[in-house]
Amino acid sequence: MPLRETTRSLQGVWIIAIVAAVLQVALSPQISILNGTVNFMMVLSITLALTAEPGTAVIIGFASGLFFDLTSSAPVGLMSLILSVASFLVASSAHGAMGGITRESIRLVGIALLVANLLYGLCLFFMGVQGDLLWALLGHGLSSTVLDFLVALIFMAIGGGSSSQRSFSTRGGASRYKMPR
Amino acid sequence: MIVLCVVSILLLTFYIREGDRGPIHSIRSGVVTVTSPLRFVGSAVATPFNAVGNIFSNLTASQETLSDLQAKNAELTAQVAELSEAQETATRLEALVGLQSTYNLQSTAARIIGASGDAWSQTVTIDKGSADGFTVGMPVCNAYGVIGQITECALNVSTVLLINDESSGVSAMVQSSRAQGMLRGQADGSLRLEYVPADAEVKVGDIVITSGIGGVFPKGLPLGTVTSVEKSDNDVYYTINVRMQASAENNEEVLVITSLNPDQVATDEEIVAANDAEAAPAQDTTQDDDSADSADDGSGDSESGQDDTSEDEYSESDDYEE
Repeated sequence: MPLRETTRSLQGVWIIAIVAAVLQVALSPQISILNGTVNFMMVLSITLALTAEPGTAVIIGFASGLFFDLTSSAPVGLMSLILSVASFLVASSAHGAMGGITRESIRLVGIALLVANLLYGLCLFFMGVQGDLLWALLGHGLSSTVLDFLVALIFMAIGGGSSSQRSFSTRGGASRYKMPR
Repeated sequence: MIVLCVVSILLLTFYIREGDRGPIHSIRSGVVTVTSPLRFVGSAVATPFNAVGNIFSNLTASQETLSDLQAKNAELTAQVAELSEAQETATRLEALVGLQSTYNLQSTAARIIGASGDAWSQTVTIDKGSADGFTVGMPVCNAYGVIGQITECALNVSTVLLINDESSGVSAMVQSSRAQGMLRGQADGSLRLEYVPADAEVKVGDIVITSGIGGVFPKGLPLGTVTSVEKSDNDVYYTINVRMQASAENNEEVLVITSLNPDQVATDEEIVAANDAEAAPAQDTTQDDDSADSADDGSGDSESGQDDTSEDEYSESDDYEE
């Protein structure tokens, strides 16, 4: 029985992806708090990776990262690389069964967002785009992580709500089920 | 995953190595053009919140006790905010026209529609692009002075790298003493005037203006005000912090300078004077090591440690580096 990705319809994923893309282009440039901005594409790929196969998560991460790269002034390819790897790791850790807001999923998303943002800042520093490592990591990276995390909670709540309407819900205690590989 | 990672790395490599007119830059330009309507919508949606954001937060505190009167008050307050915004816009436009006429600038007006999509760069997006005659490299200013330079140009929007981004630098000089240097952005968004020889006269409160060297920015446009001047005993150059004169707020009008008049470019004498000022301390430091700024990039290389620094070398050094 294929448990993975049964909790989220393809149509729902497309809707969330389009909403995230629109927010990334329209809203993200307008919101800047404490030197941080919301990266909706990062939030999208990480939260979707919770309930996706690693292979699918990588594709979502790559596409999300590439969209971010192409709509921002950052080097093209960097965010797509980071999100591809991050989505794969999140999907592998979550085993496709961490939909909704649970302690495990919140912890995993928080760590993934933090690592991805810090890694991004680190790469920009080594590429010479950023001149101050502390500012790249703490000034921009941490504040962006906090903003991303808050948005991720909303995404997870929405994702969890839609998944619970389906016949099989993975919310809470889903890790007790043995996942077929 | 490996395939996509390799693709990402290849994209990154090509992006870094290709020029501004390379295929990846062109694709990005196309994507920016296609998504520009969304940026306009986002800017339009965010604008009222910029004006009444504080008012809204104040109103929510007393919402429990007020009803109809509060709603009426909010409506009137919003109208006042809107009218105030319109009045400020009119004032800014008047100031822009004043700047245009004072400096005899050949320029086109545009409007800021958003800031950077990522937290790591100081850029803004303006609502005009190559269709309006804009090209990469054109300087951008508002009523208070220079704000940056176009670094990416799509069909109907352009990205402006602000002067306080740490990858930017503008040839500048202190207005009162004419001491020349390079104004660079810092990681925290502040500005620092570098390569000003320690024997020059600089004090807090001095106004920093563009020097016109490099032929990118018109000479004499305000950049900022000196906030602190530091120099240790053995320093060759000052450490000068500068407060940015102009701010780049969303929805504000800016001028994109499309071409320069001959009198807006630094004269030969000024270029020679700048070279002389830079060469003297650089020669001193070259004796001990490779000069203080040899480790730096961009203009520092062209100015330091060169006994035969020529006028052409300085002229060719671009005002802006990325």
